[in-house]
Amino acid sequence: MQSRSIYKVPNGKLLKIFLQYDEKRNLIEEINLMGDFFAYPEETVELMENKLKNTLLEREHLLKKIKSIIKEHKIQFIGLDAEGLTQGILMCKP
Amino acid sequence: MKEQWRLLQTGFSTASTNMAVDRAILVANSEGKVPPTVRFYGWTPPAISIGYFQSLTDEVDLDACKKLGVDYVRRITGGGAVFHDKELTYSIVIPESHPEIPKNIMNSYGRICGAVMKGLKHLGIESEYAPINDIVTGGRKISGNAQTRKLETVLQHGTVLMDVDVDKMFSLLKVPNEKIKDKLIADVKQRVTSIRHILGKDVRFEEVAKAMKKGFEEEFHVELIEGKLSKGELALAKKFEKECFSAKDWNHRR
Repeated sequence: MQSRSIYKVPNGKLLKIFLQYDEKRNLIEEINLMGDFFAYPEETVELMENKLKNTLLEREHLLKKIKSIIKEHKIQFIGLDAEGLTQGILMCKP
Repeated sequence: MKEQWRLLQTGFSTASTNMAVDRAILVANSEGKVPPTVRFYGWTPPAISIGYFQSLTDEVDLDACKKLGVDYVRRITGGGAVFHDKELTYSIVIPESHPEIPKNIMNSYGRICGAVMKGLKHLGIESEYAPINDIVTGGRKISGNAQTRKLETVLQHGTVLMDVDVDKMFSLLKVPNEKIKDKLIADVKQRVTSIRHILGKDVRFEEVAKAMKKGFEEEFHVELIEGKLSKGELALAKKFEKECFSAKDWNHRR
């Protein structure tokens, strides 16, 4: 199943997500994070997209995973945060 | 004696050349081959630049660009889509370790925007920094800015709006919801301004550049010495332009 979302992060930027997911297993198959936010270093967003594959589309699980990727790769977001990213991804689900 | 930085006035160029030159300066500075550099430039033909994380086809009406002769390019910096027409664009390239540059990214935005604000003041315009990355005057945006840090080097570029045509801008940019496009255009007209609008007269590019030069010199307590791109930078810029900024792979990557 393919889906998109547009989410204005509170006090932040506009996040646009393309998500392909396995409906039965509730898992991310492919994800693109787009928008007018900033991330340092920029290349870590592609890494985030890869690491989110096969992640369960459930709030607590997703948030924990995103926070651990941010910590592990020392990603610094401006205009976006782990909560905003989680919310944007979950908004792709009907 | 004041520290001397290099000032580049590279005139008006295409979108891919402009972005290639900024990146070439970043690489040359990171290798210690050129001093900290402030550059002023413009865009011909007018162009849209999109942020590193934006989808080109989501943000830009490519058919409208073609029809109106407007160029487009993906930046190496994040942030949003910008229509570069009647403006002065600046860039600054400086080592992350330079004492004048705060380690904290948000603080460094504020500091570099401080130079633009001092420049605006020389034109008779009071302004303030509006985090994350704007400068506003009377609550309306007059400058947008974007920063990247690569190879332990800071590159920040930004716009100083000399005049603005919001209707033309929205004929080139796509909006998430066509139904509210008219309202969006009306909102943006209220939220954006320009030197021409504030002062009620046209100010020449050279005059804006002169004011910005003073602004950067005052903010960073340096002397800007007019220079040229090195042979190495020119070669790098040519390479980046060909392999990256004019390449479909790069511009359509998202």
